[in-house]
Amino acid sequence: MTDLLTSPLHERHVALGAKLADFGGWHMPIEYPGGGVVAEHTAVRERVGLFDVSHLGKATVTGVGAADFVNSCFTNDLRRISPGQAQYTMCCDERGGVVDDLIQYLRADDDVFLIPNAANTAEVCRRLAAAAPAGLEVLDRHREYAVIAVQGPRSDEVLQALGLPTGHDYMAFVEAQWDGRSVIVCRTGYTGERGYELVPKWQDAPAVWDALVAAMAPWDGLVCGLGARDTLRTEMGYPLHGQDLSLDISPVQARSGWAVGWKKEAFWGREALLAERSAGPARISRGLVVTGRGIPRAHCSVTRDGAVVGEVTSGTFSPTRKQGIALALLHPSVAEGDEVLVDVRGRGVAATVVKPPFVQVQTRQD
Amino acid sequence: MSELSYPDDLRYTSDHEWVRLEPEGTVLVGITAYAQNALGDVVYVSLPAVGDTLAAGDSCGEVESTKSVSDIYSPLDGEVSGVNSELDSTPELINSDPYGAGWILQLRPSDPSALDSLLDAAAYRQSLG
Repeated sequence: MTDLLTSPLHERHVALGAKLADFGGWHMPIEYPGGGVVAEHTAVRERVGLFDVSHLGKATVTGVGAADFVNSCFTNDLRRISPGQAQYTMCCDERGGVVDDLIQYLRADDDVFLIPNAANTAEVCRRLAAAAPAGLEVLDRHREYAVIAVQGPRSDEVLQALGLPTGHDYMAFVEAQWDGRSVIVCRTGYTGERGYELVPKWQDAPAVWDALVAAMAPWDGLVCGLGARDTLRTEMGYPLHGQDLSLDISPVQARSGWAVGWKKEAFWGREALLAERSAGPARISRGLVVTGRGIPRAHCSVTRDGAVVGEVTSGTFSPTRKQGIALALLHPSVAEGDEVLVDVRGRGVAATVVKPPFVQVQTRQD
Repeated sequence: MSELSYPDDLRYTSDHEWVRLEPEGTVLVGITAYAQNALGDVVYVSLPAVGDTLAAGDSCGEVESTKSVSDIYSPLDGEVSGVNSELDSTPELINSDPYGAGWILQLRPSDPSALDSLLDAAAYRQSLG
């Protein structure tokens, strides 16, 4: 077994008795005793939850023209946002496959901060560095910063208890100070709830975490593991790289075309993606809500009228709806409202094709 | 978190199931505290049908959590004489009361003495290390 990397909060998780598992090479909490996936999930939907997501990558591209360079690589149009704002984007290869999906934070025209997925950070940095013109610096800062997500309708109160800024626009960020330490406060998240992702320096993470744990206690907040993060994101229909997006699942198939700057002159994979969009994708990601009994899981095949029409990419039990839900790549002839069967270990589980999200939330509310 | 318990009046299997002999000669079957804790929140249980004839080791149902799924195996040869249909609407009983309200199925063993071949609580505890 290879050595797993650990977060700066690892000792906190061990002390709490968390169940830990390998996430992209990192030994991270799945759930905590006293909580469990359903209770942690519900805390985020109804109150507030705290997640250590320090396994996420951090990288910077700096130097004159950094923003223009990044914009010529990734799919989304960085010119749609201003300094102080962040944006969801994808790093594609020339075939239009997705190397990673990530958040890009525009700090200044010469300074872009990136949060890729844990397992893909090195590859994203490698591709950027290989393409970067002289004068630009690409740095993998994976273990220079931690990432702590505060998610749920009481997030503002928790941050305010620490004197941190709140109420900035969805996808905006503020570089703040807490107790003499610098913390980037981003109005972002992977749960669909109102919330923030805090980016402190690696060594400052335990102090920030402890203060947040204390501050959420009056709101009955819970520390939450990556198990709840997965059920929360699946209820929103947010794709997970490696399951719903991959080198073999393009943004056109995943219906992530909203995060592609189609009018840009250049980005990696542009020709392949334009061609696929124009021809129409061979399969399209859609939502499934189970109407029978059972829980779809990744790679379960989906049939309609006895014919295979695709397969599940992510499936779980929705704690909010108390039924099975899934994202599935389906033949383009399958439409919303169609009734299908999901093969769950040999048993046909009835489901209806829907458009995600599976829950109604207030992600963007002022 | 409270320590996981393994009552002395039950028998156990290496598949992390418990078996309780009832006065009528039938047995109740469920999963152990260890198993429910390892699974996490149970959200779906697939039960056998009353009247099914099972051999020891036969897969006869599933217990599924938010994270994973685990087969239920028949601990003995016998016929299914009852199932806990409360689990259809409240599968979480397996987490909250694994040895009581979270029982899964009732079996009429074809050879009641086969119960003696199962692990006792001390041996099961030892198997968990």
